[in-house]
Amino acid sequence: MSMQEVSAYSLVHATVRALYSTMLTPETWEALVEAQDFDALLSALSKTVYSPYLQIERQELTPRRAVYQIRWHLADIYEKLIRLTPEPGQQLLLQLWHLYEVDNLKATLRGVEAGASWDQVRHLLHPMTRYITLTAADMEKMVRSDDVARAIELIRHTPYYETLIHALERYRAEKNLFPLEVALDLDYCRGLWQSINQLAGIDHEQALRIVGTMLDVDNLLWAIRYRVYHHLSEQEIINYTLPFGYQVRDKDIRAIAAGADIAQVVRPIYPAVEVPPLISGGGGGGAGLAAIELSLQRHIVKTCRGAFIGYPFHVGIPAAYLLLNEHEIRDLTVLIEAKASRLPTEMFASMLETQTPAYQTDQR
Amino acid sequence: MFRPQAMSKVELAVPERDVVPVTEALAASGAFHPTLTGHLGGERVPRYAEDWHERAATFAALERRIVIVMEALGVDEGPPPAETPHLIELEMAQSDIERLEREAQAPVQELEEGQRKLAQLQRYLGQLELIADLEVDLGTLRSLRYTFVLPGTMPISNLERFQTSLELIPSALVTLRREDHLATVVLFGTQRDADVLNRAARSAYLNPLELPETYRGTPAEAIAALKSNIERTRQYIAECQTTIDYLHEAHVQRLRHLLWQVCASRTLAETIARYGRLRYTYLLAGWVPASQVPTLQQEIKQVSDKVLIEVNTPRRQEDGHIPVALENPPLLRAFQALVTNYAYPCYSEIEPTLMIALTFPLIFGIMFGDVGHGLVLALLGLLLVSRKVRALRGLSGPGTLVIACGITAMVFGSLYGSVFGFEEILKPLWIRPLEDIMDILMVTIAIGVGLLSLGMVCNVVNAALTRRWGRMLFDHNGLAGLAFYWSLIGLAAGAFVGGLPVSPILLAALAAVSGLVMTFSEVLEHLVEGHRPLVEGGLSTYLIQTPIELFETVIGFLSNTLSYVRMGAFAVAHGALSMVVFIVAEIISPAHGVGYWVVVVLGNLFVIGFEGLIVGIQTLRLEYYEFFSKFFSGGGLRYCPLTLISRREE
Repeated sequence: MSMQEVSAYSLVHATVRALYSTMLTPETWEALVEAQDFDALLSALSKTVYSPYLQIERQELTPRRAVYQIRWHLADIYEKLIRLTPEPGQQLLLQLWHLYEVDNLKATLRGVEAGASWDQVRHLLHPMTRYITLTAADMEKMVRSDDVARAIELIRHTPYYETLIHALERYRAEKNLFPLEVALDLDYCRGLWQSINQLAGIDHEQALRIVGTMLDVDNLLWAIRYRVYHHLSEQEIINYTLPFGYQVRDKDIRAIAAGADIAQVVRPIYPAVEVPPLISGGGGGGAGLAAIELSLQRHIVKTCRGAFIGYPFHVGIPAAYLLLNEHEIRDLTVLIEAKASRLPTEMFASMLETQTPAYQTDQR
Repeated sequence: MFRPQAMSKVELAVPERDVVPVTEALAASGAFHPTLTGHLGGERVPRYAEDWHERAATFAALERRIVIVMEALGVDEGPPPAETPHLIELEMAQSDIERLEREAQAPVQELEEGQRKLAQLQRYLGQLELIADLEVDLGTLRSLRYTFVLPGTMPISNLERFQTSLELIPSALVTLRREDHLATVVLFGTQRDADVLNRAARSAYLNPLELPETYRGTPAEAIAALKSNIERTRQYIAECQTTIDYLHEAHVQRLRHLLWQVCASRTLAETIARYGRLRYTYLLAGWVPASQVPTLQQEIKQVSDKVLIEVNTPRRQEDGHIPVALENPPLLRAFQALVTNYAYPCYSEIEPTLMIALTFPLIFGIMFGDVGHGLVLALLGLLLVSRKVRALRGLSGPGTLVIACGITAMVFGSLYGSVFGFEEILKPLWIRPLEDIMDILMVTIAIGVGLLSLGMVCNVVNAALTRRWGRMLFDHNGLAGLAFYWSLIGLAAGAFVGGLPVSPILLAALAAVSGLVMTFSEVLEHLVEGHRPLVEGGLSTYLIQTPIELFETVIGFLSNTLSYVRMGAFAVAHGALSMVVFIVAEIISPAHGVGYWVVVVLGNLFVIGFEGLIVGIQTLRLEYYEFFSKFFSGGGLRYCPLTLISRREE
């Protein structure tokens, strides 16, 4: 144990521990899932850490707006932990934070292509105020430009420009945002991988375990989706995926691209992950794909929770906590949409990534 | 000078046939601020009557067409004409514009076509230069039957992955060059795999080079041919430009004249369209400075003797709708800008430009007292006012303000005995702030008390002007507030200084009575001004609120007064900062060599620039937040006389 690590990470660790205690407990989840409707859900949420973010006029608190407001919590803790985390671990958190910037950019481009107004787009974005290269004003200008090429020209000052401007040729030819979005994703993942590799010692080991697992799952799911949903060729799948990873190797991705049985590829990597039979044969099937996606996301959640066991003075602690929060908010999003649509509990409870509560088993 | 110009309401009934000359006369007078009268009349307007809305829209369309021709020929709008143009005949304007459009159309189209062609050729050239080293005939590359060839550029970061994806397909990827983050590559394969290779290349973001169909030979030969073609196209563009330059010279005056005429006609039509209308009569109303009414009446009578003019003095209820024309001498314009930057005064309230012209330099001078620094500021102000430096012309407005601040800084510099931070050259006429800190602080508090009292007196006057007797008597900044404030000041002065001519018991009684009056000011105001209910929002809430409000007022008086301490504090800081400059200079060069003087000069420049800015901001803060908040409500309507030839972008 190095004194330097302890002194550098003691404040971050203490802060994360304090924040970790504010995450939703299984009892709170149970209350949220059992809420009668959207209003009851909001009322239950008002007793949680998300309460201050929901203090706006009730008529403005639509399901979409509620999700947006809740995301402010994530923005706040990201900004806090980035500030507290020492270099070079800070770079990793910054890179993780920029995933939301990439998502915002993609949402903005979709808005531009759909001819949406800024008011329609703004609450679909992740709230981000600090440590950003792309401001809300930039995105507003993009939306107002009404043209994808012009919108890209407006962000010449950001690191995304070079990536987008080259992919723009394909957008012009195909009139589809897919190439732009894939180019952004690949570029982002390369940057994230680079941030992991810039770390040393236990920081590198833990970042690889936590963030590397997230990258692995994304890469694996991309390959599966490209094959099952988009029916892309082997070469296209290879070009649209990553050659690196923590547990997922390039040979695994190439095997999926070449048409191998998905279950046979996935099981040796994640023996504990349940691969549904629908997808085992390599055929299509939305339900099967959703099930494997859920299993893999739960694997990420489990890995993140595992980071809190053992030696605590490393970048894995804030990174794991932030990813756990992201998953908590994803679950809350599912819950908000389900309650707003008045779906019965059995239709959505099993889709929660952070919870495998008793009531699911009971209902079975 | 303390009030905006007195305005008169002028209402006119104009016969239909005279509406154009009368409107032109109103615009030419530069004194008529129109108000909306479109809601008046409207009944039984004959169907054949002139539709001014339609005419305004037609003129606007014509204006756009003229602007397009002007942009194509590179003609700007030029200065506005000296005389207001009259309403132009629509048919004449239309035929003029059509003729100009016809003349400009062909050369402009040819020029655009040439520019498009040049851009295309340059794009080809840029792409061919990437493969300039290839010794292959372009024609052959295009006509290969069995071999697939795809030259293009792709991100370097995708190269390795692309090669991986091609492992199982018979192909070769040759990298010709790498620049920045892009690689120029050529992908070879068989035509049989063309589809797979194309999809793979696309997914690796390989953008194929767009090679011109018409060029043969090696890339180097094609580049040479392209360059000569580019040269020819440039010559063609230059010829087109010459024609356009000729047209520019030939039509520049006509186009500008036409633009201003149409622009004025459009404004005229829009103005008339907003008038009220009876069967054969237009109804107009507006505000005119009272002093200019007789001249305006004469000017209108000259163009039509059938116009009925009624002049009224404004009623009190119209206060919010009366435009405010400020009439300050040019020397005070910079201070007027400070006032309007805060808010435009209401018609019925005191216009505080003169007060700010006196107090702003005073406050600045107290904080920035130094003869040398003041002199530099005054000279800078003179330079700004003289407009001799082109880059500073935009700042000529605040020039007088800088001069005034410079002069007061010099005056206080003499009082403090400070010249460029040197304290030994001049004997102080009054005190040295650094040595007599308590004195300067007490004096500045006294000045603050004076300014706040002045603010409250202005509030009393404003209330009297609007006949808000309740506000005048009972408001926190009214007579009750003033009595309360001064009785507290008296009590404090008696406690700390002693020897007051007024008995403390009397002062305490006055404070208690005025405090009580202020506590119930809302009820009393409503009672005197006839508003009902006397208490809004319930008696219990009111009873809870009032003591808190009184407490807030007391705290407000205290903090407002103490806020002026900063004047003394900055006077001390100014001296201390100058002292630091000399200490640093001594350290750099104890023998007072060149280094010493360099530090003194640079340090003084720093003090003038840095502290000058901070003191300026603090002065503005004291004016806006402590002084103005006592009496100045703002929200007035700016006086904008009708004009037909305002610049288009305004």
